Amino acid sequence: MSFSSPAIGQSGADEGVAGGDGYRRLNPKCMISMYIGYAISYAVLLAAYLLLRTYSQEFLGSSYDLVQYAALAVLAIALVYIVAAPPVYYARYRYQITADKVDVRYGILVIRHILVPIERVHQVEVSRGPIDTMLGLGDVTITTAGGDATINYLEIEEAEKVADQLNNLIGRMLQERVSTTPTSHPGPAGE
Amino acid sequence: MSGEKVRCHPTVIVENSLKTFSSVVVFLILLVAAIDTSAILSILVLSLVALLLFNYRQWKRTTIQFNEIDVVVERDTLFQMKKTLPYAKMASVNVNRDIPNRLFGTSKLLININSGTSAMVPEAVLTFEQDVAERLRFEMSQRLYDHAISLDEEETIESLATFTPLDVIIHGLFSVSTYQTILGAAFLAYSAFELYISTVAGVQAGGGAMASLLMFVGIQIMPSISLILRYYNYKVYRRGDTVYLQHGLIRTYRTSFSVSRINAVRIKSTLPARLLGRSCIEAEVVGLVSEGGKSSRPVLCLLKDDTTQHRILRELVPEFVYERDPNKQPEGAKRVLLIRAAVASLVVAAVMLVPSVYVYREVAALTRVIGTPGVVLQYVLPLVTALAVLAIIYAAHVSYRVTEFDAGEDLFTFVNGAVDRETVVMNYDKVQMVWITQGPIARFFGVSRGSVYMLSSTGSSSISSGYFPGNLLNSVNKIVMDRIISGKYDYRKNSI
Repeated sequence: MSFSSPAIGQSGADEGVAGGDGYRRLNPKCMISMYIGYAISYAVLLAAYLLLRTYSQEFLGSSYDLVQYAALAVLAIALVYIVAAPPVYYARYRYQITADKVDVRYGILVIRHILVPIERVHQVEVSRGPIDTMLGLGDVTITTAGGDATINYLEIEEAEKVADQLNNLIGRMLQERVSTTPTSHPGPAGE
Repeated sequence: MSGEKVRCHPTVIVENSLKTFSSVVVFLILLVAAIDTSAILSILVLSLVALLLFNYRQWKRTTIQFNEIDVVVERDTLFQMKKTLPYAKMASVNVNRDIPNRLFGTSKLLININSGTSAMVPEAVLTFEQDVAERLRFEMSQRLYDHAISLDEEETIESLATFTPLDVIIHGLFSVSTYQTILGAAFLAYSAFELYISTVAGVQAGGGAMASLLMFVGIQIMPSISLILRYYNYKVYRRGDTVYLQHGLIRTYRTSFSVSRINAVRIKSTLPARLLGRSCIEAEVVGLVSEGGKSSRPVLCLLKDDTTQHRILRELVPEFVYERDPNKQPEGAKRVLLIRAAVASLVVAAVMLVPSVYVYREVAALTRVIGTPGVVLQYVLPLVTALAVLAIIYAAHVSYRVTEFDAGEDLFTFVNGAVDRETVVMNYDKVQMVWITQGPIARFFGVSRGSVYMLSSTGSSSISSGYFPGNLLNSVNKIVMDRIISGKYDYRKNSI
């Protein structure tokens, strides 16, 4: 079986091609989604800090001040991360879907480069939580026998399109296999 | 298989609501002392109605399509979902019936995909009328099971090598991770320390000594005994393309699997095993779940001398033997490893600071412990900390020296482990996904780490490399893709 490798998924409204290498970028709305998610997490962290500050003096004794300073330092670091992370994430995120592979590059501190051959894809799932629904974004999760890879924060139309295209590619590949194996259907995995 | 959208049987609304409702009842029982008992009935009725409405909406908006090449499950609720399950990737389709199903005359159709993320639970559980479920299962099975499976496990197995009871005992004692052994030894040492203090100070030993001793037994002794019982009377043989294993003292194990189902072969040696010149072989094989639902990684050779181990590897799985041309880590990797070791040393020193001061003061307060034992006891933790720091730095040096990567034509290998060493030989055609990761320090020194994801006996697993230039690790990606595109990869020969 042989595939040519044109990049697909080219029509996202705001998603653009990053450089001339066929990689796609995310919609800038991903930063809003991240900020909202982080704000909720930070609110929980802040509530935990306030509870610690109010009720732990007796329990912590002489260590109270030290723990307070440590908690404040954690809050400050988390705040800096929350403010800085979404633009860095947006700036670094690249994805490319060709006829034979899915290629994703992302990361804030640690940069990851994920490559999933289409041949190994078992399942494609489009999902979105309430915040993403509000912003019209969605995630495409690509499942292989060895784990998942996710393309986050795609515009929902783009996410559906990417999922359909991946399903079509898998379907075409499986049909080719059926047509080239006349004596039997493809056997189940693991048999 | 018409492709039209269908829904599950409506009784799932009642079934799912009752399941959740039972949790609500348990929750209310726990809270009965804290809430007004007259409100309980209202809460129960309201929660039941709410659950029925919620599950009705879930049922109404969930559809299933049985197409020619796949099954699509779609849910259009707050958390939307669309699952596409191709028949070619399905491991099994089963029909189960529990008590609610018997009451309502329905059956559950369980679809399992041979995927690491769903190794322990079905990918889709769909409830239909009993005859509908049976018909769907029959139609789907025709697409899945279209070839015969013949296994002749009853034949007497002749082993490729003789494994004496002493070999089994050595395997039981020394195949346990060195870190686990060190932890066990630390508990044993603490127990001995407590007993010594109680003897010289004339006070009764506290519960700490007994707890430590129990931890030592739990961490060190029990796993060793378990391994000895499991691998007693061990035999291994290959006939045709099938590998046979037979072992066990109390519970006996008879395992057989096709070589084509091996995703990777690991040659392992813990530090004590290496000192004895021994190593063992394990295989990553999918779908060997024992009766208890536990997955296990089959051992192809117990801890044996290296010559025997090499012979068994060549005779048992020659598919995983090739001429290697290993790459060593570049200079940048050494710096990354040393920085990591320095950070780990600082953390260890910081963690040990308070216990060291505590032990120093406690021992100084014991008037009966004098002379050399007293001095040794006072400084035991700082000494242990210093030794741990030296060990971390030495381990970083060894890790730099031993870590290897090489990409052959059909197979590739990662060698890792300063303490417990592991050589993993993998088949490109079994690689599911490759991640190349670069942290800020590694980025500064121009190196990356690779993680290869494949289906393993314990679901999915990743095998990580050391620090190498990104383009070198990317050669795995390149070869995997080249094999697929050129047609060298034959899906019919691969289990996944």
